[in-house]
Amino acid sequence: MTDAVLAQPTRLSLARRVIDGGGLWPAVPALVYLVLFMVLPIVTLLTFGFVTIDRGAITDGGFTLTHIAGVLGDPLVWNLTWRSFWIAVVSTCLTLVLAYPIAYAYGHLKGVWRTLLLVAIISPLLTSALVRTYAWIVILGGRRGLLNQTLLSLGVIDQPLQILNTSTAVVMGMTQIHLPFMILPLLAVLSERDRRFEEASLNLGASQVETFFRVTIPMSMPAIVAGFALVFAVSYTNFIIPQLLGGGNYSTLAVQVYEQTIVVLDWSRGAALATLLLTTCFAFVLAIVSVGGRLTRWSEVRR
Amino acid sequence: MSQLVIENVSKGFGTLKVLRDCSLSIAKGSVVTLLGPSGCGKTTLLRSIAGFLIPDAGRILVKGEDISHLPPNRRDVGYVFQNYALFPHLTIRENIGYGLKIRRKPKAFIRQKVEEALGLIAMTPFGDRYPKQLSGGQQQRVAIARSLVLEPEVLLLDEPFNALDAQLRLSMQIELRKLIDRVGITSIFVTHDQQEAMTLSDRIAIMRGGRIEQLGTPLEIYDHPQTPFVADFIGRANLIPVAIRSGRTDSPQPIHSAMPDGPGTLVVRPENLSIAEGPGPGWEGSVGFATALGATIEYEIDCGAGEPLRAVLPRRPGVAPLTPGSRVTARIRDEAAAILLSGSPRP
Amino acid sequence: MMRKIKASSAQAMLPIDRFARWVLIAVTAFSILLLIGPSLIVIAISFEPRAYIAFPPSGFSTRWYQAVFANQQLLDSILVSVRISLAVMAICLLIGVPAAFASIRGTFRGRAALNAFLLSPQMMPGMVIAIASLFFGAYIAFRASDLMLILSLSVFCLPFVVRIVMARLADLDPLLDEASANLGAGKLETFVRVTLPQLAPAICAASAFTFIEAFDNVTVSLFTSDVRARPLPVELYYLVQFDSSPIIAAISSLEIGLSFVVMLIIAKAVGLERLGR
Repeated sequence: MTDAVLAQPTRLSLARRVIDGGGLWPAVPALVYLVLFMVLPIVTLLTFGFVTIDRGAITDGGFTLTHIAGVLGDPLVWNLTWRSFWIAVVSTCLTLVLAYPIAYAYGHLKGVWRTLLLVAIISPLLTSALVRTYAWIVILGGRRGLLNQTLLSLGVIDQPLQILNTSTAVVMGMTQIHLPFMILPLLAVLSERDRRFEEASLNLGASQVETFFRVTIPMSMPAIVAGFALVFAVSYTNFIIPQLLGGGNYSTLAVQVYEQTIVVLDWSRGAALATLLLTTCFAFVLAIVSVGGRLTRWSEVRR
Repeated sequence: MSQLVIENVSKGFGTLKVLRDCSLSIAKGSVVTLLGPSGCGKTTLLRSIAGFLIPDAGRILVKGEDISHLPPNRRDVGYVFQNYALFPHLTIRENIGYGLKIRRKPKAFIRQKVEEALGLIAMTPFGDRYPKQLSGGQQQRVAIARSLVLEPEVLLLDEPFNALDAQLRLSMQIELRKLIDRVGITSIFVTHDQQEAMTLSDRIAIMRGGRIEQLGTPLEIYDHPQTPFVADFIGRANLIPVAIRSGRTDSPQPIHSAMPDGPGTLVVRPENLSIAEGPGPGWEGSVGFATALGATIEYEIDCGAGEPLRAVLPRRPGVAPLTPGSRVTARIRDEAAAILLSGSPRP
Repeated sequence: MMRKIKASSAQAMLPIDRFARWVLIAVTAFSILLLIGPSLIVIAISFEPRAYIAFPPSGFSTRWYQAVFANQQLLDSILVSVRISLAVMAICLLIGVPAAFASIRGTFRGRAALNAFLLSPQMMPGMVIAIASLFFGAYIAFRASDLMLILSLSVFCLPFVVRIVMARLADLDPLLDEASANLGAGKLETFVRVTLPQLAPAICAASAFTFIEAFDNVTVSLFTSDVRARPLPVELYYLVQFDSSPIIAAISSLEIGLSFVVMLIIAKAVGLERLGR
C-alpha cells in the first residue's frame, strides 16, 4: 500500500524526465539547423565528387570515380597541395615564434599596458581579413610599395624588391593575418600560469632561459598544439591571401577549389578538389594533434 | 658558526613595509619556524632568502658568505613551495633529477642520486609516475627530495602542510621532522599554524607586522611569552589587564613582581586556573558557558568588566559540570604559572 | 652593518638572462608592430589627396571618404551587408543561446558530444562550409542569394555565440535558478526573469562579435552571395584586385573604425580578456 503510493510519483517523474529530456530541448533548434545547413551540405559536397554534375543537377551517370581519379592523377594538383602544405607550415611556425613572446610578455604587464596590448591583439581579430590583406598589398606592392620606398630611400637596395606575387608575400600575409589566432590560446594559458613552477626551476639552479625552455614552453604545450592546429588549418584552406598577394598566376589547392567552382564552374572537379582539400587538411591536423598528444601526455594523466 | 644569518633585512612594496629590520641566525642542522598571522612578512622573508625578492636593506649570509646579491639560481638554498610546484610535464624521477641535469652532471651520477633520493622518501615504485598521479603527501615528499638531492646548505619550506588534509598533517609533520634529522639539514619553515610550529621546530620565531617579535624554543615561548601578542598567538591565554603598585598587582589575586609601577598584563593559560564554587579570594563571576570536551571541561567565566576568563579543568567522570549561571571563583593554581608583562594587553 | 642593495622588487639576474630579456622585448615589440602597423598604414594612406597610394601620404584630405559616400554601388553593398549581418545575428542568437543553455545546464547523456557538435563549424574551413552550402542549395534547386548567404554565414557564426554565452553561463550560480524555482517561478519564467538578465552582457558581446564576423566574412560571401546584390566584402574583394585608388583605404579605415566600436562594446559588456578563452 505504502509502496504503491511512493512508487507513483517516481513513475510520474520518470515520464516527466523523458519530456524535459534532461534539458536537451533548448539545443534542438541549433542541432536541426546544423544538420540541415552544415551536415547535409557537406554530405552533398562529398557526394558531388563522385557523380557528374551539370548545372547543379546530378546527371544520369551515377557513381563515378572519374573526377576523383582525374584530380588525384593530376601532377599539378599534387604540386599545389605541396605548396599549400609548406606555405601553411612555414607561416604557422612563424606565427608561433611571433605569438609566443607576446603571450608571454602579456602575463608580465600590468594596468594600462596590459589593456593596450590586449587591444593590439584583439583589434586585428575584429578587422576584416580582406582589409588586412589589402594592407599588405600597400606595403609590398611594386615600386611605390611602402617596403620598397623605405628600403630604397635608406639605400639598403638599389632595385625595388619583387615580393608581391611571390610565395614570400603569401607567407608574410598569412603569418600576420593569423597571428591573433595563435596568440589567443597561448594568452589564456600563459597569462594565468603559476609562476611558482618557474621559481622552483630557478631555485633548482636553472637560468631563466633554461627555465623558459624546460618549464614554461613544455607546460604550455597543450595551447601550442591547439594554436598550431588551428592556424595550420586556416592557413592551409585560405584562398583569399594567396589570390591577392600571390597574384593572378599564383595558385594553391584552395585557390584551385575556388576557381574550379566559381570561375570555371566545373563543380564535379571543384567537389573532388574540395574533398581532397578537406581530407588532407584533416589528415594534417590529425597528425599535428597526435604528435602534440605525445608531447602533452602528462596533461592527461589522472590519479 | 651559524649556517644562516639574516642581518637587519627590510623590505617594502611601495609604501607598505613588509619586513622591518629582521635579524635571525640559525645554527647548522637546526630547524626554525617563522610563525605568524597572514601578512606578517614571514613568506616575504623566506622568499628573500631564496632570492625571489631583493630586500631593500640588510644582508643574508650562508656559511658566512653574503648571498644577498646572487640571483636565485646561484644560491645554495632549497625551496619547497606551498603546493610543491612539481613540474607536471616531468615524471617523479625527472623532477628529482632536474637540478642535477641543469648542473650538467653525468647521467650515471644523476641516476644514482635520484634512486637514492627515491629510496630516502620511500617512493621508489612511483618513480615513473607524473606528479598528478600522486597524493598530496607523496607530492610533498617528492618536492623535498627534489631539493635535498642538490644537497643545499639550507632548506626553506613555505607552509608545506597547507595542501594536505587535516588528518594527514600531524603524521606528515612527524615524518618530515624525522627526515630532516636523518639528513641533518638546516631548515626554515613558514607557517601560521602554531601546533605545526611546536611539532617541527627547535626554535620558533614569532613574526608580527614585519618584525620578529620573539625567538625561542617552543616551550620557552609557551612558558615565557614576552609580549601579549605572543602569549595569545602560541597556545591560548587569558590576558588580564592589571596595574602594578609597589611590587604587586592590583588583581583580586595579587601577583608579586619586581616590575616598576604602571599598567601590566597578567597572562594565565586556561589550564592554570582553578575554579571553586561560591565566593572567595580570586576572580568572582558566573559560569557563562561550559563545554565538555571529553577529557577536559572548558568554562567561560563572566567576571563583570572585561573579557570572560577561560578555564580548562580535567573532567572527573560522574561529576556533572557546573551549570551556566553558577557563581564561582577562579584562582591561579600556582603563582609561578602566571606571567606578568608590562603594558596593556592590546596596545 | 646596513647596506642598501637595490630598491627594486625584481630578483637579481644572470648575464645570459639579461640578454634573453632584451631578445624577448625586441621580438615582442616587433610582433606588436606587425599586429597593428598594417592597419595604421591603411588609415594613414586613406587621407591621401592624390589618386594613388603613397606612404606617408602627401597631404591630408577626406576626398576618398567623400568618394565612398558618393559611390552608390558601395553604399548599396554596405546596406546589403548590414541587412545580412543583422539577420545572421538574429538567427545565431535565437538558436545559439538556448543551445548554450542546454549544453551547460543539461543533465542528459552525450552533453560533451553536443558541445563538440555545436562548436564543430569552427573546425570546418570556412571555404568548405561555403562550397557545401552552394552545392546543397543547387541540389535542392536553391540559388545563391541573400537567404543562402544568411543561412551559410549563420553556420559559420553559431559557434561564436555558443562559446561566449557558454562561458558566461558556466560562471552563473545554478542555485539562483533553484532559488527562483523555490519561490514559485516556472522553468520558462526563471529563464526569462533570472537567467536571461544575467546573460545580457554575454549576449550583447556575442551579438557584436557575430555581427562583425558576418559583416567581414569574405570566404563564405564569395561562394553563396547573390551576384546581383553583392555584400561589402565581395565588392571590396573585386575593388582590391582592380582598383588602386585610396578609396579602398578609406573603406578599410571605416571598417577598422567599426571593429573598434565592436571592441568597445565587447570590452564594456564582458571584458576583452574573455574573448581569449
